[in-house]
Amino acid sequence: MSRKIGFAGVLVLVLLGAIVSGCIGGEETTSPTTTEQVTINWLSTQLNPPEERAFVQEQLLKEFKDQSGIDVNFVPISYSDLATRLEAEEQTGEVTIDLVADLHGGLDFFNSQAWLEDLSGKTLEGRTFISTFEKYATIDGKKVYIPWMSATYVMVVNKKAFDYLPAGLTQDDVMKGTEKWDYNALLEWAKNLKEATGQPQLGFPAGPKGLLHRFLHGYIYPSFTGYQAKNFDSPEAVQMWNYLSELWQYVNPASTTWDAMGEPLLRGEVMLAWDHTARIKNAIESNPDQFVVVPVPRGPKGRGFILVVAGLAIPKNAPHQDEAWKLIDYLTKPETQVKILENVGFFPTVQEATGAIPSGPLKVLAEGVTAQSATPDAVVAMIPNLGEKGGQFTDAYRTAFQRIVLKGEDPETVVKELGPQIKALFQEMGQEIP
Amino acid sequence: MKVKSSYIPYFLILPAFAYLLFFVGYPLVQALYTAFTQNGHFSLATVRKTFTDPYFWDALKYTISLAGVIVPTQVALAIILALGVNRVFKGKDFTIYALTIPLTISDVAAGLIWYSMLSPSGFLNKLLLNIGLINNPIYFFGYQYRHMEFLAIVLAELWRATSIVFVIILAGLQMISHEYLEAAEVFGADYWTRLRKIVIPLLKPSIQSALIIRTLFAMQIFGIVWILAGRDIPILAGEGFYRLTELKEYDVASIYALVIAGLSIILGALYIKFMKAEYLEVRG
Repeated sequence: MSRKIGFAGVLVLVLLGAIVSGCIGGEETTSPTTTEQVTINWLSTQLNPPEERAFVQEQLLKEFKDQSGIDVNFVPISYSDLATRLEAEEQTGEVTIDLVADLHGGLDFFNSQAWLEDLSGKTLEGRTFISTFEKYATIDGKKVYIPWMSATYVMVVNKKAFDYLPAGLTQDDVMKGTEKWDYNALLEWAKNLKEATGQPQLGFPAGPKGLLHRFLHGYIYPSFTGYQAKNFDSPEAVQMWNYLSELWQYVNPASTTWDAMGEPLLRGEVMLAWDHTARIKNAIESNPDQFVVVPVPRGPKGRGFILVVAGLAIPKNAPHQDEAWKLIDYLTKPETQVKILENVGFFPTVQEATGAIPSGPLKVLAEGVTAQSATPDAVVAMIPNLGEKGGQFTDAYRTAFQRIVLKGEDPETVVKELGPQIKALFQEMGQEIP
Repeated sequence: MKVKSSYIPYFLILPAFAYLLFFVGYPLVQALYTAFTQNGHFSLATVRKTFTDPYFWDALKYTISLAGVIVPTQVALAIILALGVNRVFKGKDFTIYALTIPLTISDVAAGLIWYSMLSPSGFLNKLLLNIGLINNPIYFFGYQYRHMEFLAIVLAELWRATSIVFVIILAGLQMISHEYLEAAEVFGADYWTRLRKIVIPLLKPSIQSALIIRTLFAMQIFGIVWILAGRDIPILAGEGFYRLTELKEYDVASIYALVIAGLSIILGALYIKFMKAEYLEVRG
């Protein structure tokens, strides 16, 4: 008896372990049902967290089914798994994926491997895509993907901080992102704030899970050197690091423990902050009258900022291309885009949607984002797609920050040491240095 | 089914053994493989890479020094608290209950609680500012204030995890027979003598268990440091996590995991060797 029980126990344990660890189960069936009812497979690296996934399945896809009668199998997947699966399917010719959603960088790579259909001939009624996105989605004359959602990183200002603006800078300059709203003005402003309130009022998400590295490679580097990585060890870069060290005196020191700026803004620990829109959304939502979202400052080479674009693309030889196109049509409708912004905080890619946002916190956010995108001196940066090496890329910027700004090492020595490492990453991946 | 009775013990431990094999043995072998091979061949490259990274030595230093400060303080505190509680007084049950509440709080939650208490606009600073003891808030967080972050971690850990030591020591105290103490009293031993000669020696098994548990957990310290200090104060588990999730360096992360495992095994063995339990009856 004991043996039987023991064995059964082990079996149950092993099975449980396998299920919990994800070895067994969870894989959704991909075969269409026996009737003519079509089910399309949509693999997405976006909207993967459980609550976002629930929004897609319970709201978006339900409504889509009501309208079109088409079932959608939404499969959240990591970038590396998606790339592996797409490669395998394209090589064997047995394509089961009808639609993929990924960031610009990933889709750019899939296109370079000739895994995507050209969407040039097709049109979508009643919407105008924002021209920047349209431009990036067309690669060598081929329409690679349809821009679906966007996100960016902005500055949030507690309205009280406008009382301490430096001479010559107006609230309007900051809100519109004029010529005068530059990094020197930010320094003066942060200095005024510290002197007036006795405490540093500028904050950055420099904690271990914070996104400070995006500020470094996508904002301040392009603003000072014109490029994200190309001029990493140039004299302009050294100047930039000296600037950042000076600015850091007016930055709340607890920044090195913050992963997202929403909370510190709400707690009143800082009045100025830079972060990803999703990570300051809660502050704006709780207190829409207290905060405004503004464009980032500019530097000598322009106003560097990152645009994150997620697009929808159809794999080459996908089995249900017409149905997939219907889903694309649904997902880029202005109403759907507003719904996406309201539920998961990604910004629309079609102009009509921006006008359709009801006033309130989201409007505050969207206005700031639009003002930033519309600045004439924009130097748009796309997050490089280095796959698994992406971590090493961002780590190099964080290391430079830590050594130069926090530990006070000589900037020239540090950038000369790290520059070749960063450039080597792009060479290894066979990509142009951005 | 007939089973030879001498096999029964082996069958009985089989589930536990299978459990360990699957959840401890397999990951351990996998970690060893990931750490010491490259392209399928034995290689020490990862070890070299890890050991030449200044973060590794900082992490080792901070993990050990945090444990060195926290664990002895916790044991001393717990003994004092347990001795204080281990007599009859009104509200005894409530006191024990209150002292063990932090036991139910996760380390991340504890970190957040202490963060909001110690932040520049937090409870402590507001209190001190309002009663006029300080003019500017005391900064506990940020790279420039690493020594204060260290202090904050020690405070939070003392608050959170002393209770587990307290519970173990209190259980040990309650096991000590009153006959020994009464006999000692008859022979004229005062409180300190009784404490030194009877209570502490009899408590040794409990102290040993508490030390082993706490030290092993201290080697894995993660959530509280991550919340209060980020990577300003690197620690082994945190660096392993960062390497794995941010840099996807599975091999380096494995070395961190193995170092934590190695430290735990060595420290556990040392405690068992040097803290032999004593029993009055068998003392020569």
